[in-house]
Amino acid sequence: MVRLADLPDYEREHLLAKNMPPLGPAAWVASEKPLAELRIALVTTAGLHFRNDPAFKFADATFRPISNHENADDLIMSHSSVNFDRSGFAEDVNLVYPIDRFKELESQGVIGSLANVHYSFMGAGLMPEDYQHSASQLAGMLKKDRVDAVFLTPV
Amino acid sequence: MTTGISLVRENAASMAPPRSLWVPFPLGRPLGVANDPDFQHRVIAAALELFNSNHGPVLEDFPDDAPIQQTESALACPVTFIKSATTATSWQDRLGRELNTLKPWHDLGKRRRNGRTLTGVSNSSIDEIIQRLAEYLDTATLPSAELAWFKHATEDAKTYYLEALTAQPDEQDPDNLHKIFWTQTLLADALIMLAEQLSSTIGLEQFARILVPRRALDMRANFSAAD
Repeated sequence: MVRLADLPDYEREHLLAKNMPPLGPAAWVASEKPLAELRIALVTTAGLHFRNDPAFKFADATFRPISNHENADDLIMSHSSVNFDRSGFAEDVNLVYPIDRFKELESQGVIGSLANVHYSFMGAGLMPEDYQHSASQLAGMLKKDRVDAVFLTPV
Repeated sequence: MTTGISLVRENAASMAPPRSLWVPFPLGRPLGVANDPDFQHRVIAAALELFNSNHGPVLEDFPDDAPIQQTESALACPVTFIKSATTATSWQDRLGRELNTLKPWHDLGKRRRNGRTLTGVSNSSIDEIIQRLAEYLDTATLPSAELAWFKHATEDAKTYYLEALTAQPDEQDPDNLHKIFWTQTLLADALIMLAEQLSSTIGLEQFARILVPRRALDMRANFSAAD
């Protein structure tokens, strides 16, 4: 469990060192549509990509596209951290990147639709502001894909 | 607009993203449980529910821990690692033998996962990876000229071992799994030896830290103390 009190001192300190002040300005946008009308993209920081895509470098602010129409079981992970377990992801891609669950929600009409393309960053080794250029680029691509909302997953 | 999952509550509280659901799951498992669609749907629903908040930032806690996994999984390890009994002298020989004991299990696990494997980030075969890692140890050299390949290759090798150890479809406790890997395998010995050599080389200290987790050193220390 990631309750800091349960972790060894060095892991607690390592994770607490990642506390950062809010980037600001506040980015609150209220939902203007019901969930059943939202077009949703998944964005993960798990360092995922398809086998033929370039692997992430040790510290890397770029992102990889993940087509909604390709088989997510073909995704691999080149995250540089050694501080988390990957065996669960080996068993089930949805444990980290819940694409099948979102496809089920789409077919049930719980959400409106899924983006054509989802995205993966690799969250390690850099400060939040290092991702600003990539994040702005990604925002433009999400707009072009008519995405209303993003579902973010860490690893 | 965004909603999402946070694995470290303190991080989310400090950065204050618009909507965040903290989940009490281990790192690497943001949806909680592998192959449990119902549980995963509950987590997703809780995060999507945050779209109904009128004000933000909002940080909610998911109420349930992930179901506890079996603790006897360590007994289900399919391979008996015999690193102390081997008479082979070179790393090439010893690691090669260990790899051969794992291959049938990796093949079995891969078939169970319908051909899925997370290996291949380095674009090298497992045989080539093991051969080159052993070469560094046998020749007392360091991979200074190919650090990017080396990092990906070590992750591929670890992944190969973990996929072999989980060839059977039972629920694996990740702590047991990593304890087996870090305390019983020759590959772990090899990685730790290489990491130690890298950490004492000027300019490569940080790199050594992304080869072996600190927790692995604790596991080995506790294992030795109990031996």
